Amino acid sequence: MPAEPNYTGNPRALYSLWTLFWLLMIAVAVQDNISDPYIKWWEPFVWECSSALMATVWLVLQQRRSHRYDQFLSQPLKWFGLHMAWLPVLAVTFIIAVYAIRHAIYALAHDTYEHPSWSFIFMYETVKLTLFMALWLAIIFGFKSFSLWKQERERLLQIQKHLAESQLAQLKAQLQPHFLFNALNTISALMQSDVERADRLLTRLADLLRTSLTVGSRQTTSLREEWKLLQLYASIMQERFAGRVTISWNASDEALNASIPAMLLQPLLENAYKHGVERSSETVTIRVDARREGAELRVLIHNTGELRHDPGSGIGLRNCHERLALVHGDRARLTVAPLDGGVAASVTLPYEPFHA
Amino acid sequence: MMRVLIVDDEAPARDKLRRWLSTHADIEIVGESTDGLTAAAAIDTLRPDAVFLDIQMPGLSGLEVAAQLESDTAPLLIFVTAFDEHAIRAFDLNAVDYLLKPYDRDRLEKSLHRLRERHGGPKTRSAVHTARAQTRSSERLLVPRGEQLELIDASAIHWLEADDNYVHVHTVSSNYLVRRTLNDLLEQLGERFVRIHKSTAVNLAEVARLSPLFKGDHEVHLRSGATLRLSRRYKDALFARMPR
Repeated sequence: MPAEPNYTGNPRALYSLWTLFWLLMIAVAVQDNISDPYIKWWEPFVWECSSALMATVWLVLQQRRSHRYDQFLSQPLKWFGLHMAWLPVLAVTFIIAVYAIRHAIYALAHDTYEHPSWSFIFMYETVKLTLFMALWLAIIFGFKSFSLWKQERERLLQIQKHLAESQLAQLKAQLQPHFLFNALNTISALMQSDVERADRLLTRLADLLRTSLTVGSRQTTSLREEWKLLQLYASIMQERFAGRVTISWNASDEALNASIPAMLLQPLLENAYKHGVERSSETVTIRVDARREGAELRVLIHNTGELRHDPGSGIGLRNCHERLALVHGDRARLTVAPLDGGVAASVTLPYEPFHA
Repeated sequence: MMRVLIVDDEAPARDKLRRWLSTHADIEIVGESTDGLTAAAAIDTLRPDAVFLDIQMPGLSGLEVAAQLESDTAPLLIFVTAFDEHAIRAFDLNAVDYLLKPYDRDRLEKSLHRLRERHGGPKTRSAVHTARAQTRSSERLLVPRGEQLELIDASAIHWLEADDNYVHVHTVSSNYLVRRTLNDLLEQLGERFVRIHKSTAVNLAEVARLSPLFKGDHEVHLRSGATLRLSRRYKDALFARMPR
Protein backbone atom coordinates (compact mmCIF):
# COMPACT_ATOMS: atom_id res chain seq x y z
CA MET A 1 0.00 0.00 0.00
CA PRO A 2 1.31 3.48 -0.78
CA ALA A 3 2.32 5.70 2.10
CA GLU A 4 -1.15 7.08 2.71
CA PRO A 5 -1.50 9.33 5.71
CA ASN A 6 -2.73 7.26 8.59
CA TYR A 7 -4.52 8.94 11.44
CA THR A 8 -5.14 5.90 13.60
CA GLY A 9 -3.88 7.93 16.47
CA ASN A 10 -3.25 5.76 19.44
CA PRO A 11 -4.91 2.34 18.90
CA ARG A 12 -3.78 1.05 22.25
CA ALA A 13 -5.55 3.86 24.07
CA LEU A 14 -8.72 3.20 22.07
CA TYR A 15 -8.69 -0.56 22.80
CA SER A 16 -8.02 0.08 26.51
CA LEU A 17 -10.98 2.40 26.66
CA TRP A 18 -13.04 -0.24 24.80
CA THR A 19 -12.07 -2.99 27.27
CA LEU A 20 -12.86 -0.76 30.21
CA PHE A 21 -16.23 0.08 28.70
CA TRP A 22 -17.19 -3.59 28.29
CA LEU A 23 -15.97 -4.55 31.77
CA LEU A 24 -18.23 -1.80 33.05
CA MET A 25 -21.14 -3.09 30.95
CA ILE A 26 -20.66 -6.63 32.32
CA ALA A 27 -20.39 -5.33 35.88
CA VAL A 28 -23.59 -3.30 35.51
CA ALA A 29 -25.45 -6.26 33.97
CA VAL A 30 -24.32 -8.59 36.76
CA GLN A 31 -25.17 -6.01 39.40
CA ASP A 32 -28.63 -5.54 37.88
CA ASN A 33 -29.53 -9.23 37.85
CA ILE A 34 -27.68 -10.62 40.85
CA SER A 35 -30.75 -10.46 43.10
CA ASP A 36 -33.15 -11.80 40.47
CA PRO A 37 -33.98 -15.40 41.46
CA TYR A 38 -35.14 -16.30 37.92
CA ILE A 39 -31.86 -15.41 36.29
CA LYS A 40 -28.85 -17.64 36.77
CA TRP A 41 -25.50 -16.00 37.66
CA TRP A 42 -23.86 -16.80 34.33
CA GLU A 43 -26.61 -15.41 32.12
CA PRO A 44 -25.60 -11.69 32.23
CA PHE A 45 -22.04 -12.80 31.32
CA VAL A 46 -23.32 -14.62 28.25
CA TRP A 47 -25.43 -11.66 27.13
CA GLU A 48 -22.73 -9.07 27.54
CA CYS A 49 -19.84 -11.18 26.35
CA SER A 50 -21.64 -12.19 23.14
CA SER A 51 -22.42 -8.54 22.46
CA ALA A 52 -18.87 -7.53 23.33
CA LEU A 53 -17.46 -10.19 21.00
CA MET A 54 -19.46 -9.06 17.97
CA ALA A 55 -18.96 -5.37 18.73
CA THR A 56 -15.21 -5.99 18.94
CA VAL A 57 -15.24 -7.75 15.56
CA TRP A 58 -16.82 -4.63 14.08
CA LEU A 59 -14.45 -2.27 15.89
CA VAL A 60 -11.44 -4.18 14.56
CA LEU A 61 -12.97 -4.07 11.09
CA GLN A 62 -13.48 -0.34 11.43
CA GLN A 63 -9.92 0.20 12.64
CA ARG A 64 -8.47 -1.87 9.84
CA ARG A 65 -10.55 -0.77 6.88
CA SER A 66 -11.80 2.76 7.43
CA HIS A 67 -8.61 4.64 6.45
CA ARG A 68 -10.22 5.56 3.16
CA TYR A 69 -12.64 7.77 5.08
CA ASP A 70 -9.77 9.65 6.77
CA GLN A 71 -9.68 12.21 3.97
CA PHE A 72 -13.12 13.40 5.18
CA LEU A 73 -12.00 14.09 8.73
CA SER A 74 -12.29 17.78 8.01
CA GLN A 75 -16.00 17.19 7.08
CA PRO A 76 -17.37 15.46 10.20
CA LEU A 77 -20.93 15.05 8.82
CA LYS A 78 -19.68 13.25 5.75
CA TRP A 79 -17.33 11.14 7.83
CA PHE A 80 -20.16 10.10 10.18
CA GLY A 81 -22.54 9.58 7.27
CA LEU A 82 -20.14 7.26 5.47
CA HIS A 83 -19.71 5.21 8.64
CA MET A 84 -23.41 5.16 9.51
CA ALA A 85 -24.19 3.84 6.02
CA TRP A 86 -22.84 0.53 7.33
CA LEU A 87 -25.44 0.44 10.11
CA PRO A 88 -27.93 -1.92 8.33
CA VAL A 89 -25.20 -4.50 7.61
CA LEU A 90 -23.86 -4.10 11.12
CA ALA A 91 -27.31 -4.46 12.71
CA VAL A 92 -28.23 -7.62 10.77
CA THR A 93 -24.91 -9.40 11.28
CA PHE A 94 -24.73 -8.31 14.91
CA ILE A 95 -28.20 -9.51 15.85
CA ILE A 96 -27.92 -12.82 14.00
CA ALA A 97 -24.49 -13.62 15.41
CA VAL A 98 -25.19 -12.51 18.96
CA TYR A 99 -28.48 -14.39 19.22
CA ALA A 100 -26.96 -17.46 17.59
CA ILE A 101 -24.19 -17.47 20.20
CA ARG A 102 -26.62 -17.02 23.07
CA HIS A 103 -28.93 -19.79 21.85
CA ALA A 104 -25.97 -22.10 21.39
CA ILE A 105 -24.58 -21.50 24.87
CA TYR A 106 -27.98 -21.91 26.49
CA ALA A 107 -28.41 -25.18 24.59
CA LEU A 108 -25.04 -26.38 25.82
CA ALA A 109 -26.17 -25.58 29.35
CA HIS A 110 -29.39 -27.58 28.70
CA ASP A 111 -31.41 -24.43 29.01
CA THR A 112 -33.41 -22.23 26.66
CA TYR A 113 -32.78 -18.61 25.89
CA GLU A 114 -36.11 -16.83 26.18
CA HIS A 115 -36.57 -13.48 24.58
CA PRO A 116 -39.39 -11.34 23.09
CA SER A 117 -40.54 -11.71 19.50
CA TRP A 118 -37.95 -11.35 16.68
CA SER A 119 -39.55 -8.16 15.33
CA PHE A 120 -39.30 -6.52 18.74
CA ILE A 121 -35.74 -7.75 19.24
CA PHE A 122 -34.77 -6.39 15.85
CA MET A 123 -36.22 -2.94 16.63
CA TYR A 124 -34.80 -2.84 20.12
CA GLU A 125 -31.31 -3.95 19.19
CA THR A 126 -31.15 -1.60 16.17
CA VAL A 127 -32.01 1.42 18.30
CA LYS A 128 -29.42 0.36 20.88
CA LEU A 129 -26.82 -0.26 18.20
CA THR A 130 -27.44 3.13 16.57
CA LEU A 131 -26.85 4.96 19.85
CA PHE A 132 -23.91 2.72 20.66
CA MET A 133 -22.34 3.20 17.25
CA ALA A 134 -22.81 6.97 17.33
CA LEU A 135 -21.13 7.14 20.74
CA TRP A 136 -18.12 5.11 19.65
CA LEU A 137 -17.77 6.83 16.30
CA ALA A 138 -17.63 10.10 18.21
CA ILE A 139 -14.83 8.69 20.37
CA ILE A 140 -12.93 7.32 17.35
CA PHE A 141 -13.46 10.62 15.57
CA GLY A 142 -11.92 12.35 18.56
CA PHE A 143 -8.89 10.08 18.52
CA LYS A 144 -8.36 10.47 14.80
CA SER A 145 -8.85 14.23 14.76
CA PHE A 146 -6.37 14.61 17.56
CA SER A 147 -3.74 12.62 15.73
CA LEU A 148 -4.50 14.48 12.50
CA TRP A 149 -4.12 17.77 14.31
CA LYS A 150 -0.84 16.57 15.80
CA GLN A 151 0.51 15.56 12.40
CA GLU A 152 -0.60 18.81 10.83
CA ARG A 153 1.05 20.75 13.58
CA GLU A 154 4.25 18.80 13.11
CA ARG A 155 4.20 19.46 9.39
CA LEU A 156 3.60 23.14 10.02
CA LEU A 157 6.47 23.25 12.47
CA GLN A 158 8.67 21.57 9.86
CA ILE A 159 7.67 24.11 7.23
CA GLN A 160 8.38 26.92 9.65
CA LYS A 161 11.72 25.43 10.56
CA HIS A 162 12.71 25.10 6.92
CA LEU A 163 11.51 28.59 6.20
CA ALA A 164 13.60 29.95 9.02
CA GLU A 165 16.57 28.01 7.72
CA SER A 166 16.09 29.19 4.18
CA GLN A 167 15.63 32.76 5.38
CA LEU A 168 18.89 32.45 7.16
CA ALA A 169 20.55 30.86 4.14
CA GLN A 170 19.00 33.53 1.96
CA LEU A 171 20.22 36.33 4.14
CA LYS A 172 23.60 34.74 4.25
CA ALA A 173 23.54 34.46 0.48
CA GLN A 174 22.47 38.05 0.03
CA LEU A 175 24.86 39.21 2.65
CA GLN A 176 27.16 36.67 1.06
CA PRO A 177 30.56 38.18 1.57
CA HIS A 178 31.58 38.03 -2.05
CA PHE A 179 28.39 39.55 -3.34
CA LEU A 180 28.17 42.28 -0.74
CA PHE A 181 31.81 43.30 -0.71
CA ASN A 182 32.13 43.19 -4.47
CA ALA A 183 29.06 45.39 -4.78
CA LEU A 184 30.52 47.78 -2.21
CA ASN A 185 33.80 47.85 -4.10
CA THR A 186 31.98 48.59 -7.34
CA ILE A 187 30.24 51.49 -5.61
CA SER A 188 33.54 52.66 -4.21
CA ALA A 189 35.05 52.53 -7.71
CA LEU A 190 32.10 54.24 -9.41
CA MET A 191 32.10 57.01 -6.84
CA GLN A 192 35.37 58.28 -8.29
CA SER A 193 34.04 58.58 -11.80
CA ASP A 194 30.24 58.60 -11.87
CA VAL A 195 28.53 59.79 -8.71
CA GLU A 196 25.04 59.32 -10.18
CA ARG A 197 25.65 55.68 -11.03
CA ALA A 198 27.32 55.03 -7.71
CA ASP A 199 24.35 56.53 -5.94
CA ARG A 200 21.91 54.45 -7.98
CA LEU A 201 23.82 51.26 -7.24
CA LEU A 202 24.01 52.03 -3.54
CA THR A 203 20.24 52.63 -3.47
CA ARG A 204 19.58 49.34 -5.23
CA LEU A 205 21.80 47.47 -2.84
CA ALA A 206 19.87 49.02 0.05
CA ASP A 207 16.56 48.13 -1.66
CA LEU A 208 17.68 44.55 -2.11
CA LEU A 209 18.68 44.20 1.53
CA ARG A 210 15.43 45.81 2.69
CA THR A 211 13.23 43.72 0.40
CA SER A 212 14.88 40.49 1.35
CA LEU A 213 14.41 41.33 5.02
CA THR A 214 10.67 42.00 4.62
CA VAL A 215 9.91 39.25 2.10
CA GLY A 216 11.93 36.88 4.21
CA SER A 217 9.42 36.99 7.04
CA ARG A 218 6.60 35.71 4.80
CA GLN A 219 6.10 32.20 3.63
CA THR A 220 4.59 32.82 0.21
CA THR A 221 4.65 35.83 -2.01
CA SER A 222 3.47 36.74 -5.47
CA LEU A 223 5.74 36.04 -8.41
CA ARG A 224 5.50 39.79 -9.08
CA GLU A 225 7.30 40.56 -5.78
CA GLU A 226 9.81 37.79 -6.36
CA TRP A 227 10.36 39.13 -9.87
CA LYS A 228 11.23 42.59 -8.47
CA LEU A 229 13.75 41.06 -6.12
CA LEU A 230 15.36 39.13 -8.97
CA GLN A 231 15.56 42.25 -11.13
CA LEU A 232 17.10 44.21 -8.29
CA TYR A 233 19.72 41.55 -7.83
CA ALA A 234 20.33 41.41 -11.58
CA SER A 235 20.71 45.18 -11.85
CA ILE A 236 23.47 45.14 -9.25
CA MET A 237 25.24 42.30 -11.04
CA GLN A 238 24.76 44.23 -14.30
CA GLU A 239 26.85 47.10 -12.94
CA ARG A 240 29.61 44.75 -11.90
CA PHE A 241 29.68 42.73 -15.10
CA ALA A 242 28.69 45.41 -17.60
CA GLY A 243 29.22 44.07 -21.11
CA ARG A 244 29.69 40.49 -19.98
CA VAL A 245 26.07 39.58 -19.47
CA THR A 246 22.77 40.28 -21.14
CA ILE A 247 19.61 39.33 -19.33
CA SER A 248 16.05 39.11 -20.63
CA TRP A 249 12.81 38.89 -18.68
CA ASN A 250 9.67 37.31 -19.97
CA ALA A 251 6.55 36.73 -17.88
CA SER A 252 2.83 36.89 -18.57
CA ASP A 253 0.64 38.96 -16.30
CA GLU A 254 -1.16 35.79 -15.30
CA ALA A 255 2.11 34.21 -14.24
CA LEU A 256 3.13 37.25 -12.21
CA ASN A 257 -0.08 36.95 -10.20
CA ALA A 258 0.81 33.44 -9.12
CA SER A 259 1.70 32.58 -5.59
CA ILE A 260 5.20 31.20 -4.97
CA PRO A 261 7.29 30.29 -1.90
CA ALA A 262 9.14 33.45 -0.90
CA MET A 263 12.73 33.80 -2.10
CA LEU A 264 12.68 30.49 -3.90
CA LEU A 265 14.11 31.75 -7.17
CA GLN A 266 16.98 33.99 -6.17
CA PRO A 267 19.45 31.19 -5.42
CA LEU A 268 18.76 29.88 -8.94
CA LEU A 269 19.54 33.23 -10.53
CA GLU A 270 22.62 33.52 -8.35
CA ASN A 271 23.81 30.17 -9.68
CA ALA A 272 23.39 31.46 -13.23
CA TYR A 273 25.72 34.33 -12.37
CA LYS A 274 28.11 32.28 -10.30
CA HIS A 275 28.53 29.47 -12.80
CA GLY A 276 27.76 31.34 -16.01
CA VAL A 277 29.04 34.90 -15.78
CA GLU A 278 31.78 34.76 -13.16
CA ARG A 279 33.42 31.74 -14.79
CA SER A 280 33.35 32.92 -18.37
CA SER A 281 35.21 35.66 -20.18
CA GLU A 282 32.67 35.59 -22.98
CA THR A 283 29.32 37.35 -22.93
CA VAL A 284 26.74 35.24 -21.15
CA THR A 285 23.06 35.43 -21.94
CA ILE A 286 20.60 34.85 -19.11
CA ARG A 287 16.91 34.32 -19.82
CA VAL A 288 14.28 34.36 -17.09
CA ASP A 289 10.87 33.09 -18.22
CA ALA A 290 7.67 32.54 -16.27
CA ARG A 291 4.40 31.31 -17.69
CA ARG A 292 1.28 29.48 -16.72
CA GLU A 293 0.84 26.07 -18.30
CA GLY A 294 -2.67 24.94 -17.48
CA ALA A 295 -2.80 24.14 -13.79
CA GLU A 296 0.92 24.76 -13.36
CA LEU A 297 3.30 27.69 -13.08
CA ARG A 298 6.63 27.18 -14.81
CA VAL A 299 9.70 29.35 -14.19
CA LEU A 300 12.84 28.82 -16.24
CA ILE A 301 16.22 30.43 -15.61
CA HIS A 302 18.58 29.71 -18.47
CA ASN A 303 22.19 30.76 -18.92
CA THR A 304 24.66 30.05 -21.70
CA GLY A 305 27.77 28.12 -20.75
CA GLU A 306 28.34 24.62 -19.50
CA LEU A 307 26.86 22.76 -16.57
CA ARG A 308 29.22 22.61 -13.65
CA HIS A 309 28.86 20.68 -10.48
CA ASP A 310 30.35 22.62 -7.67
CA PRO A 311 30.49 21.37 -4.12
CA GLY A 312 29.59 24.88 -2.99
CA SER A 313 26.46 25.46 -5.05
CA GLY A 314 24.58 22.47 -3.67
CA ILE A 315 23.33 24.09 -0.50
CA GLY A 316 21.18 26.76 -2.14
CA LEU A 317 19.75 24.24 -4.58
CA ARG A 318 19.01 21.66 -1.91
CA ASN A 319 17.23 24.30 0.11
CA CYS A 320 15.02 25.16 -2.89
CA HIS A 321 14.22 21.47 -3.35
CA GLU A 322 13.25 21.00 0.27
CA ARG A 323 11.07 24.09 0.41
CA LEU A 324 9.20 23.13 -2.75
CA ALA A 325 8.66 19.61 -1.43
CA LEU A 326 7.41 20.89 1.91
CA VAL A 327 4.94 23.35 0.49
CA HIS A 328 3.73 21.40 -2.54
CA GLY A 329 4.81 17.79 -1.98
CA ASP A 330 5.40 15.90 -5.22
CA ARG A 331 3.21 18.31 -7.17
CA ALA A 332 6.26 20.56 -7.63
CA ARG A 333 9.49 19.86 -9.46
CA LEU A 334 12.92 21.53 -9.65
CA THR A 335 15.50 20.44 -12.18
CA VAL A 336 18.88 21.80 -13.24
CA ALA A 337 19.94 20.38 -16.59
CA PRO A 338 21.72 21.23 -19.84
CA LEU A 339 19.42 22.94 -22.35
CA ASP A 340 19.98 24.70 -25.70
CA GLY A 341 23.75 24.89 -25.31
CA GLY A 342 23.49 26.18 -21.76
CA VAL A 343 22.12 25.36 -18.36
CA ALA A 344 18.49 25.68 -17.32
CA ALA A 345 17.05 25.67 -13.83
CA SER A 346 13.37 24.86 -14.14
CA VAL A 347 10.73 25.13 -11.41
CA THR A 348 7.23 23.75 -11.92
CA LEU A 349 4.60 24.15 -9.22
CA PRO A 350 0.79 24.21 -8.96
CA TYR A 351 -0.65 27.49 -10.20
CA GLU A 352 -2.46 29.36 -7.45
CA PRO A 353 -3.35 33.05 -7.68
CA PHE A 354 -1.74 35.09 -4.92
CA HIS A 355 -3.98 36.84 -2.40
CA ALA A 356 -2.19 39.29 -0.14
CA MET B 1 60.17 53.32 -11.61
CA MET B 2 57.95 50.38 -10.80
CA ARG B 3 56.09 48.63 -13.63
CA VAL B 4 52.66 47.42 -12.51
CA LEU B 5 50.02 45.11 -14.02
CA ILE B 6 46.35 45.34 -12.97
CA VAL B 7 44.29 42.12 -13.06
CA ASP B 8 40.55 42.14 -12.30
CA ASP B 9 37.54 40.87 -14.20
CA GLU B 10 35.33 43.79 -13.15
CA ALA B 11 35.78 47.04 -15.04
CA PRO B 12 34.89 49.37 -12.14
CA ALA B 13 37.44 47.64 -9.93
CA ARG B 14 40.17 48.12 -12.57
CA ASP B 15 39.14 51.76 -13.04
CA LYS B 16 39.53 52.47 -9.35
CA LEU B 17 43.01 50.97 -9.16
CA ARG B 18 44.16 52.69 -12.35
CA ARG B 19 42.83 56.04 -11.13
CA TRP B 20 44.64 55.86 -7.82
CA LEU B 21 47.86 54.29 -9.09
CA SER B 22 48.21 56.79 -11.93
CA THR B 23 48.64 59.65 -9.43
CA HIS B 24 51.99 58.17 -8.42
CA ALA B 25 54.95 59.36 -10.48
CA ASP B 26 57.05 56.30 -9.70
CA ILE B 27 54.47 53.85 -10.93
CA GLU B 28 53.88 52.89 -14.53
CA ILE B 29 50.82 50.83 -15.41
CA VAL B 30 52.03 48.49 -18.12
CA GLY B 31 48.78 46.66 -18.71
CA GLU B 32 45.42 45.44 -17.53
CA SER B 33 44.06 41.90 -17.73
CA THR B 34 40.50 40.70 -17.28
CA ASP B 35 40.98 37.00 -16.56
CA GLY B 36 43.52 34.53 -15.23
CA LEU B 37 44.86 33.16 -18.51
CA THR B 38 45.50 36.54 -20.13
CA ALA B 39 47.01 37.72 -16.85
CA ALA B 40 49.50 34.86 -16.89
CA ALA B 41 50.34 35.63 -20.53
CA ALA B 42 50.75 39.34 -19.71
CA ILE B 43 53.07 38.55 -16.80
CA ASP B 44 55.08 36.37 -19.18
CA THR B 45 55.45 38.97 -21.92
CA LEU B 46 55.36 42.27 -20.00
CA ARG B 47 57.50 41.10 -17.07
CA PRO B 48 56.01 43.62 -14.61
CA ASP B 49 57.63 44.35 -11.26
CA ALA B 50 54.36 44.03 -9.38
CA VAL B 51 50.87 42.68 -10.05
CA PHE B 52 47.59 43.62 -8.40
CA LEU B 53 45.90 40.25 -8.72
CA ASP B 54 42.16 39.72 -8.17
CA ILE B 55 41.45 36.27 -6.78
CA GLN B 56 37.95 35.50 -8.07
CA MET B 57 38.18 35.46 -11.86
CA PRO B 58 36.87 33.41 -14.78
CA GLY B 59 39.07 30.60 -16.06
CA LEU B 60 42.00 30.72 -13.72
CA SER B 61 41.80 32.29 -10.26
CA GLY B 62 44.41 34.73 -9.03
CA LEU B 63 45.82 32.06 -6.74
CA GLU B 64 46.12 29.62 -9.63
CA VAL B 65 47.91 32.24 -11.71
CA ALA B 66 50.37 32.79 -8.88
CA ALA B 67 50.92 29.05 -8.53
CA GLN B 68 51.96 28.75 -12.18
CA LEU B 69 54.62 31.47 -12.03
CA GLU B 70 58.31 30.69 -11.93
CA SER B 71 59.15 31.37 -8.34
CA ASP B 72 62.56 32.96 -8.96
CA THR B 73 61.38 35.44 -11.53
CA ALA B 74 57.83 36.06 -10.29
CA PRO B 75 56.79 39.69 -9.85
CA LEU B 76 55.77 41.03 -6.45
CA LEU B 77 52.14 40.10 -5.86
CA ILE B 78 49.33 41.99 -4.17
CA PHE B 79 46.20 39.87 -3.98
CA VAL B 80 42.94 41.77 -4.18
CA THR B 81 39.83 40.03 -2.92
CA ALA B 82 36.31 40.79 -1.80
CA PHE B 83 36.42 38.42 1.08
CA ASP B 84 38.85 37.39 3.74
CA GLU B 85 39.16 33.93 2.27
CA HIS B 86 40.70 31.09 4.11
CA ALA B 87 43.35 30.70 1.42
CA ILE B 88 44.58 34.26 1.71
CA ARG B 89 45.39 33.84 5.37
CA ALA B 90 48.05 31.29 4.48
CA PHE B 91 50.20 34.01 2.97
CA ASP B 92 53.00 35.53 4.92
CA LEU B 93 52.55 39.28 4.82
CA ASN B 94 56.27 39.71 4.32
CA ALA B 95 56.07 37.89 1.04
CA VAL B 96 52.88 39.31 -0.32
CA ASP B 97 50.29 41.89 0.56
CA TYR B 98 46.58 41.69 0.06
CA LEU B 99 43.83 44.25 -0.28
CA LEU B 100 40.33 43.53 0.94
CA LYS B 101 37.59 45.06 -1.21
CA PRO B 102 36.49 47.73 -0.74
CA TYR B 103 39.69 49.43 0.33
CA ASP B 104 40.37 53.10 0.75
CA ARG B 105 43.23 55.20 -0.46
CA ASP B 106 45.18 54.96 2.78
CA ARG B 107 45.15 51.20 2.61
CA LEU B 108 46.39 51.26 -0.98
CA GLU B 109 49.17 53.67 0.02
CA LYS B 110 50.24 51.23 2.68
CA SER B 111 50.47 48.47 0.08
CA LEU B 112 52.48 50.69 -2.22
CA HIS B 113 54.80 51.51 0.63
CA ARG B 114 55.44 47.82 1.19
CA LEU B 115 55.93 47.30 -2.54
CA ARG B 116 58.53 50.05 -2.77
CA GLU B 117 60.38 48.64 0.21
CA ARG B 118 60.68 45.23 -1.36
CA HIS B 119 61.18 46.39 -4.94
CA GLY B 120 64.83 46.00 -5.79
CA GLY B 121 65.47 44.21 -2.53
CA PRO B 122 66.17 40.49 -2.23
CA LYS B 123 63.46 38.39 -3.88
CA THR B 124 61.26 36.34 -1.62
CA ARG B 125 59.85 33.25 -3.18
CA SER B 126 57.32 32.18 -0.64
CA ALA B 127 54.31 33.87 -2.31
CA VAL B 128 54.43 31.49 -5.27
CA HIS B 129 55.16 28.55 -3.01
CA THR B 130 52.21 29.35 -0.77
CA ALA B 131 49.95 29.75 -3.80
CA ARG B 132 51.08 26.33 -5.02
CA ALA B 133 50.23 24.79 -1.68
CA GLN B 134 46.82 26.49 -1.70
CA THR B 135 45.81 25.34 -5.18
CA ARG B 136 46.10 21.95 -6.83
CA SER B 137 49.02 23.19 -8.86
CA SER B 138 50.68 19.77 -9.14
CA GLU B 139 47.71 18.59 -11.22
CA ARG B 140 47.88 21.17 -13.97
CA LEU B 141 50.53 23.05 -15.89
CA LEU B 142 50.18 26.30 -17.78
CA VAL B 143 51.89 26.05 -21.18
CA PRO B 144 52.12 28.34 -24.20
CA ARG B 145 50.27 27.37 -27.35
CA GLY B 146 50.90 29.88 -30.10
CA GLU B 147 50.14 33.29 -28.70
CA GLN B 148 47.91 31.87 -26.00
CA LEU B 149 48.41 29.96 -22.80
CA GLU B 150 46.55 26.81 -21.90
CA LEU B 151 46.32 24.41 -19.01
CA ILE B 152 47.26 20.79 -19.52
CA ASP B 153 46.89 17.88 -17.12
CA ALA B 154 50.11 16.97 -15.41
CA SER B 155 49.26 13.30 -15.94
CA ALA B 156 49.34 13.85 -19.73
CA ILE B 157 53.01 14.89 -19.59
CA HIS B 158 55.41 12.08 -20.53
CA TRP B 159 58.72 13.71 -19.82
CA LEU B 160 60.48 17.02 -19.28
CA GLU B 161 63.70 18.14 -20.89
CA ALA B 162 65.70 21.18 -19.79
CA ASP B 163 67.07 23.44 -22.49
CA ASP B 164 68.89 26.49 -21.17
CA ASN B 165 66.27 28.66 -19.43
CA TYR B 166 63.48 26.69 -21.05
CA VAL B 167 61.93 23.28 -20.55
CA HIS B 168 60.48 21.11 -23.30
CA VAL B 169 57.27 19.57 -22.03
CA HIS B 170 56.53 16.36 -23.97
CA THR B 171 52.98 15.04 -24.08
CA VAL B 172 51.45 12.37 -26.31
CA SER B 173 50.55 14.87 -29.03
CA SER B 174 52.61 17.99 -28.48
CA ASN B 175 55.86 19.45 -27.34
CA TYR B 176 55.54 22.70 -25.41
CA LEU B 177 58.37 25.10 -24.67
CA VAL B 178 57.96 26.62 -21.22
CA ARG B 179 60.14 29.48 -20.02
CA ARG B 180 60.89 28.07 -16.58
CA THR B 181 63.69 26.06 -15.02
CA LEU B 182 63.40 22.28 -14.62
CA ASN B 183 63.91 22.64 -10.88
CA ASP B 184 61.02 25.04 -10.58
CA LEU B 185 58.71 22.85 -12.68
CA LEU B 186 59.56 19.76 -10.64
CA GLU B 187 58.95 21.70 -7.47
CA GLN B 188 55.45 22.57 -8.69
CA LEU B 189 54.54 19.21 -10.22
CA GLY B 190 55.77 17.19 -7.28
CA GLU B 191 55.94 13.44 -6.72
CA ARG B 192 54.59 12.37 -10.09
CA PHE B 193 57.93 13.14 -11.78
CA VAL B 194 61.39 11.72 -11.14
CA ARG B 195 64.63 13.14 -12.33
CA ILE B 196 66.76 10.70 -14.36
CA HIS B 197 69.42 13.07 -15.60
CA LYS B 198 70.68 16.56 -14.90
CA SER B 199 68.42 17.82 -17.68
CA THR B 200 65.66 15.19 -17.83
CA ALA B 201 62.72 14.09 -15.68
CA VAL B 202 60.07 11.46 -16.45
CA ASN B 203 56.50 10.87 -15.43
CA LEU B 204 56.83 7.72 -13.34
CA ALA B 205 53.55 6.32 -14.69
CA GLU B 206 54.95 6.48 -18.23
CA VAL B 207 58.03 4.35 -17.58
CA ALA B 208 57.64 1.00 -19.39
CA ARG B 209 60.95 -0.66 -18.49
CA LEU B 210 64.65 -0.13 -17.79
CA SER B 211 67.47 -1.80 -19.68
CA PRO B 212 71.04 -1.91 -18.36
CA LEU B 213 73.96 -0.61 -20.37
CA PHE B 214 77.54 -1.37 -19.34
CA LYS B 215 79.20 0.27 -16.35
CA GLY B 216 75.95 0.65 -14.38
CA ASP B 217 74.27 3.05 -16.77
CA HIS B 218 70.70 2.37 -17.83
CA GLU B 219 68.24 3.32 -20.49
CA VAL B 220 64.67 4.28 -19.58
CA HIS B 221 62.03 3.16 -22.07
CA LEU B 222 58.77 5.09 -21.98
CA ARG B 223 55.38 3.70 -23.00
CA SER B 224 55.34 6.23 -25.81
CA GLY B 225 58.45 4.59 -27.30
CA ALA B 226 60.97 7.27 -26.31
CA THR B 227 64.28 6.03 -24.89
CA LEU B 228 66.05 8.24 -22.35
CA ARG B 229 69.37 8.01 -20.61
CA LEU B 230 69.42 7.33 -16.88
CA SER B 231 72.53 8.79 -15.33
CA ARG B 232 74.25 6.94 -12.49
CA ARG B 233 73.73 9.84 -10.15
CA TYR B 234 69.92 9.53 -10.22
CA LYS B 235 69.76 5.72 -10.53
CA ASP B 236 69.12 4.91 -6.85
CA ALA B 237 66.42 7.55 -6.51
CA LEU B 238 64.57 6.15 -9.53
CA PHE B 239 64.95 2.51 -8.42
CA ALA B 240 63.53 3.42 -5.05
CA ARG B 241 60.41 4.82 -6.69
CA MET B 242 59.87 2.04 -9.25
CA PRO B 243 57.16 -0.52 -8.50
CA ARG B 244 58.60 -4.01 -8.12
